[in-house]
Amino acid sequence: MTNQLLELLTTYGLPALFGAMVLAAVGMPFPSSLTLVAMGSFVAQGELSFWPVIFAGSAGAVVGDQIGYAFGRYGGRPLLAAVTKRIGGADKVKKAEAYSRKWAGWGIFFSRWLIGPLGPWINVTSGLTKYPWARFILLDVAGEVLWLLIYVSLGRAFSDQVQTIASLLGNLTWVIVGLLAAILLGWKLFGRSRSVSDDTG
Amino acid sequence: MTPNRTWRKALIALFVAIVAFTGYHAARTVSDAIYWNAHRDEPIEPWMTVGYVAHSYHVPPHILHAALGLPPRPDRRPLARISRDSGLSMTQIEAKLTNAIVHVRPPYPPPGPPPQPIRPSRSSSAAQ
Repeated sequence: MTNQLLELLTTYGLPALFGAMVLAAVGMPFPSSLTLVAMGSFVAQGELSFWPVIFAGSAGAVVGDQIGYAFGRYGGRPLLAAVTKRIGGADKVKKAEAYSRKWAGWGIFFSRWLIGPLGPWINVTSGLTKYPWARFILLDVAGEVLWLLIYVSLGRAFSDQVQTIASLLGNLTWVIVGLLAAILLGWKLFGRSRSVSDDTG
Repeated sequence: MTPNRTWRKALIALFVAIVAFTGYHAARTVSDAIYWNAHRDEPIEPWMTVGYVAHSYHVPPHILHAALGLPPRPDRRPLARISRDSGLSMTQIEAKLTNAIVHVRPPYPPPGPPPQPIRPSRSSSAAQ
């Protein structure tokens, strides 16, 4: 599967890159970091030009992100409304929305390039909590362009070791995601609950 | 009280899992960095083009074109396509490429110029 997709990319170039980035942003499991680093290598070899790659790639990613956002907003919200009507909790949803409006900006921006695996989820939750679309797309474009610039430039600079660089970036990303999750959960478990229970270990 | 405790235990288990997951990927990041630093050859994959393999292994492309019996001009097809078009299996292609690469590296004399220069001297920085 991965190989066939990468094959399409090497054969068809920019249109395939656009399509692949749309699918990756929607949440299809796809080796997007390897793709971008490989594109950078093709730039270094003179087969593609730098800016068209950046443009096609970020345009695809932004389009895909809007699909996720629209799905959350127009598909998810009615569903959520139906659920809260039946089992209640509308006040909690309101609270979550306020929380999201306050904090989701950071999530949107950083999930474009630093914690990529969370991107598709954040698109849907942004739509679901009705995060203002104008701000969403602004942060989205900024983050995606930054992502493309970082990954394609790395592939261009280390164009003979594409797979190693892509693997390194992939693992590093999971380390960051893991650390974030550990810190958040650790704080919830061991930070605030001091007053309730003394300690467990 | 009891469900609260169970909940907390589950969260602690999740926390341990997350820490283990993070540690695993941190170890792999370090091993990737070592691999990268050592500049080891990357395995040849079906998505790669002949040009990329030549670039990655620092050998002139015409050597690899000759090894696969292709004309000495740029060929953008990925190896998987070349495999289908030529009837050679990926294993055979890999073996032919690896063999050609080994035979232009240091113990052997450096390769000569391409047979017939179709493109007039395009930045051949692999001159060593």
